[in-house]
Amino acid sequence: MSLLKPFSKLPTLNTASILLVESEEQFQQSLADALLEETAVTMNVRLAKSLPLPKENEESRPRIDLVVFIINLTSELSFQSAEASLKHLDSGYFLGKVCFLVINARNASVPIERLDAVRRLAASLHCPLLFAEDQTPDGVTNAAERLLTILKVAAGRVPMATALYLSNLTRCTVPPDIDQPSFD
Amino acid sequence: MGDSLKRLLQRLIRRIPTQMLKLTLEKWGRLTKAQQQSMDFTQPKWVLTERLLGICEENEWTVKHITELEMIYVMDNPNQGMWNAFQLIDPEDDFQSVELMKFKEQFKYHLGELVKHVSVKMKKHTDEAVWIRIAWGDSFSRPNHLKPTYVVHQLQAPYVYVTSLTLKQKPLLSQALILATRYQALKDANLSGRNLTAIRDLLMRQYQQVFPTRYPSPLAEKNETVSNTHIEREQAMFAANRHRMSCEAFGDGTLPQLQSVVYKLETKFRDHTNKTMSEREEPFRCVVKFASTNILESLRHCASSGIVSTPVTPLLSSIPLKGKNYFVITDNGPGPSSQKRQPQS
Repeated sequence: MSLLKPFSKLPTLNTASILLVESEEQFQQSLADALLEETAVTMNVRLAKSLPLPKENEESRPRIDLVVFIINLTSELSFQSAEASLKHLDSGYFLGKVCFLVINARNASVPIERLDAVRRLAASLHCPLLFAEDQTPDGVTNAAERLLTILKVAAGRVPMATALYLSNLTRCTVPPDIDQPSFD
Repeated sequence: MGDSLKRLLQRLIRRIPTQMLKLTLEKWGRLTKAQQQSMDFTQPKWVLTERLLGICEENEWTVKHITELEMIYVMDNPNQGMWNAFQLIDPEDDFQSVELMKFKEQFKYHLGELVKHVSVKMKKHTDEAVWIRIAWGDSFSRPNHLKPTYVVHQLQAPYVYVTSLTLKQKPLLSQALILATRYQALKDANLSGRNLTAIRDLLMRQYQQVFPTRYPSPLAEKNETVSNTHIEREQAMFAANRHRMSCEAFGDGTLPQLQSVVYKLETKFRDHTNKTMSEREEPFRCVVKFASTNILESLRHCASSGIVSTPVTPLLSSIPLKGKNYFVITDNGPGPSSQKRQPQS
């Protein structure tokens, strides 16, 4: 079992690497294709079902600048898998190099508690929480653009900004009344 | 015209969708040319029904004619009810598959002996199958044509497919079938589903077969889509492995459409802390049911996407192999050491 570390490798020139973790392996492929539309930097996209990553790829793997956990809200398994994967991530990543991407949140069959659980998880790790639409091409491009914004900062492409600084502004916070019963 | 006949026709027309009504009536061929032309199929259903009821009176159709129409419709659209499969076993020594006319005669005769009021209608379908429509009555009431039982039997194969059969009628049907086909018993094949062709394919093994092997099959040669070099799957090897395993269990062709799989567990409750449960005499029963529009495809996808751990347990992979979707799982031996459970028929 090996931890994935943010600074164990040297960065490559003009390159940004992103790791998409999704237990269902459905959305990550289309998202990866959308991410590669970006031409200003050389993009490296790695797809994984869960962490830890296999040892054999250790050599070929670039330095990962941003880890994205894609959580499908309609499936409990997706959330549990992401939660389990978090343990295999070095604490250095949580200084602005991890983010959560929630899909299917508008689905009517989603229990409200699951969204709260995801929010709490993201807030406790000081990570940003993004919502995306995975059914339409527009939604995928949108999600890719938002990820690229974070990724560019995390990869050091943006002068005067660091991942830690950005995460202070974008991280998820739990509303104080999340445990209160709602009166609507 | 009797009231029951009217109701029967009304119900039947209600079941047939408007766009299929014309074709079905043409196939039936009981309408005269003029009557056929007088029907306007763009009109709402109830107008058509009224018109047909009028024609019915005119032509003096009887129950026989209406049931004929119903059979034509059901044979064209068999996937409406729940079909149960039965297997005929132990053929007699000098067994030869019976000829259609003889089977017809024998079946009608034997069923008539068993039940006084019964109406049987048979028709041969294009694919060598005999379709039997049975309207049951008992000794005091006339045959109820509103709830008929349909039986499909291929004379060359020892399988019978039955829909909407009640428990009371089952022994009667089974006896009549046994006597007419010269087998000795009728066994429940533990297979049911809405799609008749799928059930038949499964029992007759008319789909792509897989054989368990210990060696990787040449599936690996399949062309992977050439993806961008900048996208890399970290766990591609595991995914390929899972895909291979699921294909080994279910094959990589199309699978017959089944709607559900039921596992019934009958075992002894084993827990040292819970004395009341583990000392009970009767077995501990538990039923697990998987349902989907196409359960075999779903299971294969579950295996290849990693929701079900691979290698796939024989309990799941034996569905297409054994051609059953109802399993009773019992303990293998009496001793507490035999924890291993195996599907038994």
